[in-house]
Amino acid sequence: MRKLVDVYYRLLNWLLVISVAILIIPVSLQIFSRYTSLIPSYIWTEEMARFFFIWMIMIGSMVAIRDGGHFDVDLWPELAPRPNALLRIVSSVFVLVMALVFIWYGIRFVQFGWNQTSELADLPMPFIFAAWPLAGFTWVVFLGERFLQDLRIVAARPRA
Amino acid sequence: MSGGAALSPAMAALVLFGVFFTLMALRVPIAFALGLACLPVMFIEPRLSPMIIFNETFKSYNSFILLAVPFFLLTANLMNVGGITDRLVRLSRDLVGHMPGGLAQVNVVLSIFFAGISGSSTADAASQGKIFIEAQVKEGYDLSFSVAITAVSAVLAVIIPPSILMIVWGGTLSVSIGALFLAGVIPGLLLGVVQMATVHVYAKLRNYPKYPRASMKEVFAGIGVAVPALMTPVIIIGGKIFGWFTATESAAIAVLYAAVLSIFVYREMSGKQLHGALLDTGRLAAVALFCVGTASAFGWLLAYYQIPKALLAGVGSWGMGITGTGFFIAFCFLVVGCFLDAIPAIIIVGTILEPLARSVNMDPVHFAMVGIISLAFGLVTPPYGLCLMISCAIAKVRLMYVLKDVMIMLMPMLGVLSLAIMWPDLILFLPRMISPEFLK
Repeated sequence: MRKLVDVYYRLLNWLLVISVAILIIPVSLQIFSRYTSLIPSYIWTEEMARFFFIWMIMIGSMVAIRDGGHFDVDLWPELAPRPNALLRIVSSVFVLVMALVFIWYGIRFVQFGWNQTSELADLPMPFIFAAWPLAGFTWVVFLGERFLQDLRIVAARPRA
Repeated sequence: MSGGAALSPAMAALVLFGVFFTLMALRVPIAFALGLACLPVMFIEPRLSPMIIFNETFKSYNSFILLAVPFFLLTANLMNVGGITDRLVRLSRDLVGHMPGGLAQVNVVLSIFFAGISGSSTADAASQGKIFIEAQVKEGYDLSFSVAITAVSAVLAVIIPPSILMIVWGGTLSVSIGALFLAGVIPGLLLGVVQMATVHVYAKLRNYPKYPRASMKEVFAGIGVAVPALMTPVIIIGGKIFGWFTATESAAIAVLYAAVLSIFVYREMSGKQLHGALLDTGRLAAVALFCVGTASAFGWLLAYYQIPKALLAGVGSWGMGITGTGFFIAFCFLVVGCFLDAIPAIIIVGTILEPLARSVNMDPVHFAMVGIISLAFGLVTPPYGLCLMISCAIAKVRLMYVLKDVMIMLMPMLGVLSLAIMWPDLILFLPRMISPEFLK
């Protein structure tokens, strides 16, 4: 199970790298097509860039749940491992609520866009909207994994 | 709009801010706390539904302007792995290494160079933290001083153009980004000078070491090697001002230029490093921008209940002039900057304060720069100061440990901010001279 999550995490990391690398292409095309006649000025470059951008943000938000990349404000004094784990469980529960909202309403969001296509490239919108419920689902997976770790810390007997 | 709403503006504000601050105190990540704070209101109000979160996040991510954020981060990361940063370090050392506190002066000067190329303070703090903190401690500088000066000098990256904050501000509040770029030059350099003076005083008091003075020949050699890198700001800012490309495109040009320098000119980048640079960029950009989405939903609700109007209802009657309003605006942004990242702060608070600035005829560029400088200071003010958090994480110390030095260094910088508020020409001079058509 742990391994499976790990593979999924690494896959997402790769997708993130690819999405950042690809982002630069449509924008460069846009500039070059304006100043040279080597390539025609494609109308879809701007839209393409935005759509990769959306996926990049959503994939990044998934990855960050596992490696603790989302920024929080730490107003607490330095805590011992157990209260620290307990606090993390509490905050994870709230993130979980958000994840469930993203899944539940995200699916409706995809259905809402079922027959829509994008303005310029005629891309089906569900391809874009799907990022939201997928993010929700991924958060649940990664949160679940951390829950188990934290529960183990809380349940462990303090060494006498 | 709020006619017939189930919640009064006061109640809605109480719920929104109450939930947000409670969750923040429980260490829920800011991005999620902002989104979750929207939920109760959306369920209570019959005319609203959580679908608004989706509309707002989609709208804010589907933005060509924000694309500049990953590009500027990528530029910075490519500079670091591609050897550009190393050249700039050498040049800075040749230029200021002989001053008291030589290495710390290099730290500040490098931040100024870096600021002219990249528009991201977080990237600056991350890369310079790795270069300087350990090296400074080894040369006998105090750890807390080293961490503090690294974080504080990183702030310059968003004040000296190009700057992510200027692009976001220009995009959300419809101000000319070219004018903002020009407006940032003088206050940015002034802040750099003030920081160098601070380092000087520290170095004299604490007897920090200096390097032997570089010969003229070495200085010129250093400049020669760094020239291709130093051309970047000229290309980016020039291209923006002359209208060759848009803000986002100028950021893409910066990426391409940094890539070309790294691969063909300095030839120091390996495939693995490129992968690392891309991954770092994706992570940091995505986390920062995800928060922009939920902040937009939060801001949308504030606007729906006309909360900003209610909050500022009293302020208008105080009869403040431009200067008074300027200080009030700076104060608001400084406080907000302690708790929020700069981009969401612009989206939420910038739009709240804009009518106030307009009502006293404050120039939009002046208003923008006061806001951006104040928010930039927020990057090093606890509890939520990203640059400070990054520097502390690199040095493995807690925020509290370096707080005193950060506050000391901020004092003269606040002086520069006050000067910029009281004397708008400091900000408006360059844009007025070079491209008056950008100003209304």
